[in-house]
Amino acid sequence: MQNKRIDTFVMGMAIVFMGAAVFIMGLLPWLGRAHAMTVVTMDGKVVPAQPYTPLEARGRKVYIREGCWYCHSQYVRPVTGEDRRWGPPSQEGEYAYDVPHMFGTRRIGPDLTREGGRVADDWHYAHHFNPRMVVPDSIMPQFPWLYNGVDANGRPVPTDDAVALVAYIQKLGSNLGPWRKNFLYVSGGSAIPVIPAAVEDGVAEGKKVFVRRCVGCHGETGDGKGPVAVFLGTKPRIFKDGIFKLRSTPSGSIPTDGDLYRTITMGVRGTAMPNWHELTEDDRWFVIQYIKTFSDRFKEETPGDVIVIPPESPNTPDSVSRGKGLYDQMKCAECHGVDGTGNGPSASTLRDNWGNPIAARNFTHGGTDMKSGPAPQDMYKAFSTGLDGTPMPSYADFLNPDQRWDLVHYVMSFGPPDTYLILTPQQAGDAYGH
Amino acid sequence: MAASQALLENEPLVNAKLVKQWLFWGILWTMIFPLVGVVVSIKFNYPDWLGQTSWLTWGRIRPMHVNGVIFGAFSTTFFGLVFYMVPKLTGIRMVGEKMGFWCLWLWNIGVVLGSYSLMAGYQKGIEAGDYALWADVPLIIAFIILTYMVIATIVQRKEKLLYVSLYYTAGAMVWTAINFPIGNILLPYWVPGVNNAALHGLYIHYIVGLWITPAGLALIYFFLPLACKNPLYSHKLSLVGFWSIALFYPFVGIHHYLYSPIPNWTQTIAIVTSMMLIIPVWTVTQNFFGTMMGNWKSLQESFVAKFCIMGSIFYFLGCFQGSTEALRGMQQLTHFTDFVISHSHLTIFGTFVVWTMAGTYYVWPRVTGHALWSKTLATWHFWLIVVSFSTMAGVLTLMGLLQGTMWMDSVDFVDTVVAMKPYWFVRTLSGIGMDIGIFLFMINMYMTAVEPSPLPEMEREKAFVPAAAD
Repeated sequence: MQNKRIDTFVMGMAIVFMGAAVFIMGLLPWLGRAHAMTVVTMDGKVVPAQPYTPLEARGRKVYIREGCWYCHSQYVRPVTGEDRRWGPPSQEGEYAYDVPHMFGTRRIGPDLTREGGRVADDWHYAHHFNPRMVVPDSIMPQFPWLYNGVDANGRPVPTDDAVALVAYIQKLGSNLGPWRKNFLYVSGGSAIPVIPAAVEDGVAEGKKVFVRRCVGCHGETGDGKGPVAVFLGTKPRIFKDGIFKLRSTPSGSIPTDGDLYRTITMGVRGTAMPNWHELTEDDRWFVIQYIKTFSDRFKEETPGDVIVIPPESPNTPDSVSRGKGLYDQMKCAECHGVDGTGNGPSASTLRDNWGNPIAARNFTHGGTDMKSGPAPQDMYKAFSTGLDGTPMPSYADFLNPDQRWDLVHYVMSFGPPDTYLILTPQQAGDAYGH
Repeated sequence: MAASQALLENEPLVNAKLVKQWLFWGILWTMIFPLVGVVVSIKFNYPDWLGQTSWLTWGRIRPMHVNGVIFGAFSTTFFGLVFYMVPKLTGIRMVGEKMGFWCLWLWNIGVVLGSYSLMAGYQKGIEAGDYALWADVPLIIAFIILTYMVIATIVQRKEKLLYVSLYYTAGAMVWTAINFPIGNILLPYWVPGVNNAALHGLYIHYIVGLWITPAGLALIYFFLPLACKNPLYSHKLSLVGFWSIALFYPFVGIHHYLYSPIPNWTQTIAIVTSMMLIIPVWTVTQNFFGTMMGNWKSLQESFVAKFCIMGSIFYFLGCFQGSTEALRGMQQLTHFTDFVISHSHLTIFGTFVVWTMAGTYYVWPRVTGHALWSKTLATWHFWLIVVSFSTMAGVLTLMGLLQGTMWMDSVDFVDTVVAMKPYWFVRTLSGIGMDIGIFLFMINMYMTAVEPSPLPEMEREKAFVPAAAD
């Protein structure tokens, strides 16, 4: 009897303590209030979290199956500068549809909470095929079993699992809405710091940066024919020709160092070009000096005068309707389509200067998907400079500044308004005041 | 003390065949699953090695290593030792002994099926509960039967005193029988969002804190006094340890997810209770070293004592590290880095697997009836583990601090990975050193079993009454 009493006591208390803990720590926070299904966006709006599509849900299964989550955590902590590295800290509602959760306990690779929308799908297909092709120092495994044969261009064909996996990755972080528009602006990405003094020595240093970060796509000789290039729909920039899309200088001119710095820092949305904001500022300047050695244009020419971006005119219905008129008049719909989806009559025949097919931008995705950037000023700049090397011309000679703003406002009306980064005049002056 | 008398009396209580079979498989798993860890670690430096086959990709064999060490290496050996320890402490034979053989096969099938399910891509996505549900079924059934056997034996015991090892064994079995369904049935399919993470934090820590820790402590409280031939320093103090573990450990799990969107107050409770765990850790350590007092020379003679004390030192270090790691300020720096991995290795391998080795050195000669085959090999085993494992724990801790500092300093992520590569190489070498030690251990145990150099009569387990005569 004595036996039984102590035994019952020990085991009973053991169960009571554990039960209390499971109740207090595991169940009380859950039962005590409604399960968070909403997220507060960067603009302060409360929006519902979006469930996974069947494709994304399948991708999540692949993510679990391949053990991605042992190396990639999925929560951004509000400490140690993680919001500068990856984006805004995680919110409870973002996980509303996660069963099981994928928080993770280790970061052998980077956190993936904010991975969605960072680079185009193509980048992920190349990266999963062979990570070291894209990032030479990577220690991520290859996933050749997610590919099946090669297509006519020699591009490995992703299986349904791979397509689903990439769909899932691109969904990550998107419950927070278009947070990316604020991301690098907030962290000072658009402010161009002074070029470091020892820039002459930068070429050798820049080459070190280039071979570790850039060769996968842009190739060792800057010919844009790195091993990754075959995967990419938007082909990598060919540095030896010295033609650059994103500039603040007039059509046909070489870009300023600041333009290149901005592209490297912010990346090019909707393409495989990532944002390199984690590189030190010096490294970014050094690699620019190295990139400029590929083309003689940088020795022979000087950049043209920087385009002045005047203060934005009011975005009124009148401005939008004037913009619509200009959209028709300038035949924008030929490529971008009447509905702005990028499927105009000549869209399928578009070629860049090197003969590669190139897509007309789909405006319905809004500002976070614009190559030039998420601010209306970025679009104004693109109208003024054109995207050299592509069929997109400069309208500097055809439209006056007010008309360019009207056209900006009309194009903005195709996409969700909150995807555009609306800057105060002060911020616009700081970022584009030149 | 009544219990220690029972320990030294040599009544035919122990079913040597059952213990031998469980230990055989335990030793085999202790060889295999740490070896898988070496393969995993080599891939840090040579990511393309064995990388073309989905079955051998890093993300599929890493959980095989983790779960294999927990459920294969540690747990199988533990059950073998339980079948020796519990009859000795209760004064009766195990209840339902014959089921023990069936459980061994169910358990092994579970571990093999589980490892297969991970490699074939059927895993659940719950860390430390990764095996597919159909692989968990045999494990859970075996565990429930084993829990019944242990609890029924304890309840029907002849010894009056409930020795501290029985507290821990009973606690470990009961807690884990509750915990298994939480992690393997509830979490993967039902609870959504941050609550899933919160409960999972608890589940992981119930595996380490309410299974491995009490199970390991049960072993050392039994084997250390036997090894140094001293009575336990203080039974009361050992119970302070038990009750503080029982009270605090169930709360600590959420310290895996500090600064996450899990409600902040639960994180704070987890931190406070994690710090409170210093109480059981220090009382346990005090008890072990107190028990050794006056008989430190047994360290020279007894491999059991050597491994018990080595494990105790790593226990003290690893658990103190674990408590401090739970502090917010410390976790800012160390979380997500190899600091966490150093903690898990210090505790799981350095402490608990080492303690199962100590128990095996004691029990294996007694159940086989043969003296230890080679003291030289055992010495090599000991020192290889000491040197290699200290290196591993040290290098992983250092890496965590280095990489954590680099992250806080906004260094490009890939650059922080590159900076870790030389250290990962050292980690692999130290892992190979440990595995050579374990290999020598396995050889030594095998030769002990087959080499007829009889143990003195009084140390040998008496021949067991054949089952037919029951």
